[in-house]
Amino acid sequence: MDTIGSLVHGLAVALTPGNLLAVLVGSIIGTVIGVLPGLGPTASIALLLPVTIGMDMVPALIMLAGIYYGAMYGGSTTSILVNIPGEAASVVTCIDGYRMAREGRAGAALGMSAFGSFIGGTVSVVAVMLISPFLAETALKFGAPEMFALLFFAFTCIGGLTGKSRGRGLLMACVGLLLGTIGTDDIQGVDRFVFGTLYLRDGIGLVPLAMGLFGMGEILYNIEKRETAGSVLETPKGLLPTLQDWKDATWPMLRGSVLGFGIGVLPGGMPAVASLLSYAVEKRVAKRPERFGRGAIEGVAGPETANNAATAGGFVPLLTLGIPTNSVLALMLAAMMLHGVTPGPLLLLKWPDVFWGVIASMYIGNAMLLVLNLPMIGLFVQILKVPYAILSPLIVMFVLLGAYALNNSVTDVLATILFGIAGYLMKRLNIEPAPLVLAFVLGPMLENNLSKALIMARGDALPFFFGRPISATLLTLAILVLLYPLVRAGWRLAATGRLARR
Amino acid sequence: MTVDRVLGVCAVLTAIPVAAAAWGFGVGNPKSPGAGFWPLTIVVAMVGLGGWLIVHPSRDGAAVGAPESRWGRLWVALGTMAFYVAALERLGFPLATALLLLAQLRWVEGRPWRSSAGIAVLATLISFVLFRVLLKVPLPAGVVPLPRGW
Repeated sequence: MDTIGSLVHGLAVALTPGNLLAVLVGSIIGTVIGVLPGLGPTASIALLLPVTIGMDMVPALIMLAGIYYGAMYGGSTTSILVNIPGEAASVVTCIDGYRMAREGRAGAALGMSAFGSFIGGTVSVVAVMLISPFLAETALKFGAPEMFALLFFAFTCIGGLTGKSRGRGLLMACVGLLLGTIGTDDIQGVDRFVFGTLYLRDGIGLVPLAMGLFGMGEILYNIEKRETAGSVLETPKGLLPTLQDWKDATWPMLRGSVLGFGIGVLPGGMPAVASLLSYAVEKRVAKRPERFGRGAIEGVAGPETANNAATAGGFVPLLTLGIPTNSVLALMLAAMMLHGVTPGPLLLLKWPDVFWGVIASMYIGNAMLLVLNLPMIGLFVQILKVPYAILSPLIVMFVLLGAYALNNSVTDVLATILFGIAGYLMKRLNIEPAPLVLAFVLGPMLENNLSKALIMARGDALPFFFGRPISATLLTLAILVLLYPLVRAGWRLAATGRLARR
Repeated sequence: MTVDRVLGVCAVLTAIPVAAAAWGFGVGNPKSPGAGFWPLTIVVAMVGLGGWLIVHPSRDGAAVGAPESRWGRLWVALGTMAFYVAALERLGFPLATALLLLAQLRWVEGRPWRSSAGIAVLATLISFVLFRVLLKVPLPAGVVPLPRGW
């Protein structure tokens, strides 16, 4: 089947009443989550994973994808109206969006943010549709050494892109890898780090780990250190941007789409990174960069487009290679596995309904969000007025019940609370939990492929890995990523030395 | 002490028992890696990164500091969750959930008694409908008798 034919098949899947409802529910939940400060898409998807267990596979995945891109739409609302980002990718939107709101242009900022999100999301979905089949076909030729090299490259990128300190990020990734070894070893059948308990023999579950680190950790942090919005919330009027706004924002949106998609495809490519980079690029190419920070619409349009484009871009490596590039996609991977689907090159052949259904649902979801979001801004403003003191206990209850619903086990509830304490401590100490969760997911795949490749190499590992073009290229790239900080430090030292000599 | 240095020391200290355990699983050889090979590889990387963080902590200024003023509420919140773990299967879902919400709303969030009780009962009913009725999760009934067939 050609790409257009496959997309038509996907649309037929996505347009069934049940799946359409899943798109609608996912998009609305995602937007509400994005609107509410303090609960990002990772935490929310972690919290909703147990709920999807009782659902059919395709609507469950369509709903979770909807939550992810819906959160990107909603995240800008709080950034613009109250100067508090709904989620990390909307941090830069605060800068110019809030300034526009203070100047009475909140409507234009919110409108442009919604249009930008729609354009970024749609352009990116087209790119996903065109690239994914080609990449999946290439990946079918990958053996264990190539998969190991690819996973290792992804692993080296995690530490650099998800935190302020590369060393700290990589160390957290090592902790994630170590946690991933707990349980019975797949190849030898040896129990590792189970301490005689039955619970640990199956390994630590991704859902309690993610719900704890992201969801519960966030709640505990908010209980201790609550931020309050100082603005008076009023429903903004005049949501359609002017002709001049469109003129100013067209190129930033196009650049944001391309940049966001590119970042989203890369390992560690968080939407937050895409929006930050887009803001930096727009400021650099602007004729009057001094307008940035004083209510420039380009500062809203570019980043909001880029973060939505990155969201869809992340689905390329997930669906075609089975590699999640960020923590939200790691949870999507977990959701697929919970439903018996293994993402990777065979997904297109074995489960075309899942692949094309999810892709087609993104088109529908993006259009739905644009149509729904603008008229619903008044409702979102009302949601923002619900005191966090009421929301917080309700979220705690939902987390604990969700953890119990996984296996009807109190031990899962306890594990979620313990990981929640760890997540709280990490947040307090400014340690990003995403590398840990990503490495936890990648670890078993990394080990499995390394073991197989070593057995294939028969003792000559280095010539074996570097004798194969794909694995050699990927391993070289990984080494370059690892060595880059050292090389940069060397350059700086040399430059300082030259300056001192002058 | 900076966060990076604390993390570095913790990594190195953790590595010692983990390495010993990994060695016990059997490391094997490059032709046929054992169950301990991968954990040992991770531990080596951890020691290297830990050492790097001790010697070269990042300059973002993050330091291990004192907690904020709502520290007490955090302990109460954790206490209510521990109670929930202990009570969920003994008291049953409806009672344990309502008590968890009541305690959190009243003592963690400082809401008035009446609204706390109202929200607790209403949210318990909604969660019951969502999890037990719609999603068919077999939640423990405990001491509160549930309608027949639920």
